[in-house]
Amino acid sequence: MWAIMKKELKSYFLSPIGYVVMGIFLLCFSLFFYLTVFQSGSVDLGILYYHVIVYGLIIIVPLLTMRMFAEERKNGTEQLLLTSPVSIFKIVMGKLLAALAVILITLIVSLGYFVIVSFFAQPNIKIVLGSIFGFVLASIAALSVGMCASSLTENQIIAGIITVAFLIMELFISGINDIFSKISIIDAYVNFAQGLISLKSIIQLLGFSAMFISITIIILQRRKLVK
Amino acid sequence: MIEVKNVTKKYGKFVALDNISFKIEEGEIIGLLGPNGAGKSTTMNILTGYIDQTSGEVYVSGYDIQKKAKKAKKEIGYMPEGVPLYTDLTVKEFVTYMAELKKVNRKERKEKIQKIIKEIGLLDVQNKLIRNLSRGYKQRVSMAGALIGDPKILILDEPTVGLDPKQIAEVRDLIRKLGKKHTVILSSHILSEVSQICNKVIIINKGKIVAIDTPENLEKKVEGSNSIQVTVEDKEDKINKVKSKIKGLKEIKFVKENEDKTKEYIFEAEKDVDLRKKIFEQLSKQGITIFEMKKIDTTLEDAFMKLIKGGKK
Repeated sequence: MWAIMKKELKSYFLSPIGYVVMGIFLLCFSLFFYLTVFQSGSVDLGILYYHVIVYGLIIIVPLLTMRMFAEERKNGTEQLLLTSPVSIFKIVMGKLLAALAVILITLIVSLGYFVIVSFFAQPNIKIVLGSIFGFVLASIAALSVGMCASSLTENQIIAGIITVAFLIMELFISGINDIFSKISIIDAYVNFAQGLISLKSIIQLLGFSAMFISITIIILQRRKLVK
Repeated sequence: MIEVKNVTKKYGKFVALDNISFKIEEGEIIGLLGPNGAGKSTTMNILTGYIDQTSGEVYVSGYDIQKKAKKAKKEIGYMPEGVPLYTDLTVKEFVTYMAELKKVNRKERKEKIQKIIKEIGLLDVQNKLIRNLSRGYKQRVSMAGALIGDPKILILDEPTVGLDPKQIAEVRDLIRKLGKKHTVILSSHILSEVSQICNKVIIINKGKIVAIDTPENLEKKVEGSNSIQVTVEDKEDKINKVKSKIKGLKEIKFVKENEDKTKEYIFEAEKDVDLRKKIFEQLSKQGITIFEMKKIDTTLEDAFMKLIKGGKK
């Protein structure tokens, strides 16, 4: 699993994708830092992270996940992967963790905003840490969706578009019915933005991720039979 | 070493492999032979656990490829068709990654990687990006990836496709060398290749096994005709008079008349008799001049065509 994660992480930064993702990510942070914190003179960094989750993940996640399985399938390298003595679960987790690592690196950089604000005021560190924790969980959930989409097709673009469509739908889904809010990443995240670590939200996000990770594994396993 | 029992693979209604069974013993070099679309790659993909069979069982070193996949896969080094590689890695990075995937002991890893890079002849290019390598080198990188981790069995899908003649010769030598330490299964649609390298051939056509034997035996098996091709100058058309005078001769077939008025015949003899001497003597008695005479050997090519045609019936 670690071998796969290491290699995938390296691949992100061998191609421009890793840098593009981090660039867009930090651009989002700067933009919303200006709009939410700077312009309104607020010290609530939770709002900053909330906005990045809502608008940033939609762009970043597909960039990270669209190539995951689609590219391997197209280039035939999945043959190397699937015939090695590594279980499909570990392959899936290795890839997921690599994508998560890119997000984690950016989140660590984002702590810089906390440092900047703390020169002028006293931002609540609890909110920042809670937000980052929630951000990680929400990212895992969104990445699982993207990964699942990537396992469906050998066309990266299609995988990307499916992911974007799903994540946009996620934004509005809780408006349809209360039941749908249970599978809304944003709804589950809101608590963290206030510095609250709610067990319900954690379970909701991890459960959501587990579901899509399982679907990915099932798709890959199933393809062995029909391929 | 490898046991395939009644394996069937269906894609929807299309039957890619139809109830095939065979055994491969340790140390053999096996050639999987068949026309395109016969089921060679499907067989290999099932042996390596890349795809699942619809029914039947596959054992690799005694491990079921589906139920004990990890252990079974560890026994195998696989070079897939079309040599898929991670082209954004360098040769060394790729081999290292494959070593990690195959869980080569951390302490020995570096040493083993270097050994294989040297053995396969990649030392000069080990720090180059795979994307920038020529086809021949890519083939070798793929081979190195298959070899790392000391697998007992090597499965090579069309190892010489797309190479130039010199590279083909090199790869064949390499396979022969590897065959001393590993059990090798290679697929090919080139017959001469298989008869050169392999000591056993499995011929597949339309998802069925047509024959399993040594190349020599296969040639013998289909050696139905023992014929001699003769080109003569026979102005008085006396050739048919010879027929009764040569014992063991079954038939004289006229093939064609050449531009220089010489005629080409095929003398079909009974099995295991060499009539060349008698034909020479008799023809000269009749005043027929022999321009050319040669024994027609059955090649693996003939064997292949014959077996495949037989399979169609």
